[in-house]
Amino acid sequence: MNTVGKIKVWDPLLRAFHWTLVTAFVIDYLTEDDWMRLHANAGYVITGLLVFRLIWGFVGPRHARFANFVFAPRIVYSYFRNMLRGRSARYVGHNPVGGAMVIALMLLLTATSVSGIALYAVGDQAGPLAHWLGGLGSVWESRLKHVHEFFANFTLLLVIAHVCGVIAGSVLHEENLVRAMITGNKQRIVNKHLS
Amino acid sequence: MKMRNVLLALGAGILTVASQMVLSEDDDHGKKKGKWFERSTDVARVENAQYVKECGGCHFPYQPGLLPERSWRKVMNQLKDHFGDNAELPAPTHEQVLAYLVTNSAEHGNYRRSEKILRSIAASDAPDRITTTPYIRHKHDELPAKFVKGNVKVGSLSNCTACHTKAEQGSYSEGEIRIPGSGAWED
Amino acid sequence: MKISKPVLIMLASLTFSGAHATAVSELLQKYETQGAKQFNAQAGKELWTRSFGISKEGKVRRCSTCHTDDLRKAGTHIKTNKDIDPLAPSVNNKRLMEIAEIEKWFKRNCEWTLERECSAQEKGDFLSYIRMQ
Repeated sequence: MNTVGKIKVWDPLLRAFHWTLVTAFVIDYLTEDDWMRLHANAGYVITGLLVFRLIWGFVGPRHARFANFVFAPRIVYSYFRNMLRGRSARYVGHNPVGGAMVIALMLLLTATSVSGIALYAVGDQAGPLAHWLGGLGSVWESRLKHVHEFFANFTLLLVIAHVCGVIAGSVLHEENLVRAMITGNKQRIVNKHLS
Repeated sequence: MKMRNVLLALGAGILTVASQMVLSEDDDHGKKKGKWFERSTDVARVENAQYVKECGGCHFPYQPGLLPERSWRKVMNQLKDHFGDNAELPAPTHEQVLAYLVTNSAEHGNYRRSEKILRSIAASDAPDRITTTPYIRHKHDELPAKFVKGNVKVGSLSNCTACHTKAEQGSYSEGEIRIPGSGAWED
Repeated sequence: MKISKPVLIMLASLTFSGAHATAVSELLQKYETQGAKQFNAQAGKELWTRSFGISKEGKVRRCSTCHTDDLRKAGTHIKTNKDIDPLAPSVNNKRLMEIAEIEKWFKRNCEWTLERECSAQEKGDFLSYIRMQ
């Protein structure tokens, strides 16, 4: 594999977004409702991050845009199979599976945040939805609690899969993807280059 | 990276966070939320040695934050027949215990569990048992009888410390539950 | 005056067991003024294990129902299942220390067990029995 210098892949805002999201999610997962104020505010931060990412996915630099890494399901599927065989191609931005993970995580985080805010409203009569949902009562509180916990845990599962994917991709293509998300840079590869 | 786009995306994100934080400053009843790095432990611990001595000899010294003031007044008025036993106290002790209870009842402090219990009770009701408050009933309604009444080590829902391992510290968190003979509880 | 060792030891132990000995002996004196005759630990033990009937929840009205027959062991409250610390002063040095406490528990527990207040004689016999455990 021939490498010639660095290419800038992940812009600073994107990187800040990613690592802030990691921090906020860890805080949220660990605090649960034992440190409610911290938990709720970290959750609000996540909603803000999601809004940012949504917009950035349309107006941001090339590799931040959804158009760059969202592929049809059959392409995602065949890329995944190739990964398992160790034969997947190297992408400069997100590969199809990585791209699918971005979308999946965004959807799940949205579901988790929304259910959390609803739960906060019903259970604690607190948060931005308290005025509208506050009167719903304890049966709804239970339901929302189960929904919120389910989505939170499902997100965690995906996060674990995401980490595995990052490690696999790093190994397969002999690059440090974690460092790339910190510095924003990857090595430019002359021969095996795709999009 | 056009500046306009940066501002748009960042601005929207920040606005989302800020608006929610501002809208959440008070809860629906105008009470301020707790401190940032303060554990929202469920109810205030009992720190009153006299209460523990006078009211914790036969049963767990239930935290005053578990009932509203009117309930505690009712209980203290009926000590001659305190659920079948005579629990009368000499007058000065009686006054002191009552004062402790009403000063620390569920209406006071910023305790989540207390507030939830309070909200579940109709204003016209003054339950004299914690276990009959709608909130506590609801919290235990999926529990099979064999874990409570049918469980020699538990006996009744009034025996909080049998399963709630941190009840003495005022914490009734789900993760701390260990049902004797069964283990952790997840619902 | 030469005091022999055994006497010295006896005197010393009396000082150390001072507190609960004081509460109990004061109460015993009080019960005597209320008409009690000589106190008897055996009578106390008999009272302890006697059944005084059945409560409406089906429990036997007897001291040992909650406190067990062995005062050195912890008991269990039959209604609340709460652990009750051992009554035996030899195991629990907080017992029989305060007159007010002793009287309080006599009042409450006699009322449940015997369905009346204990007489001065009975209380004295109980104390004579408990203090030796």
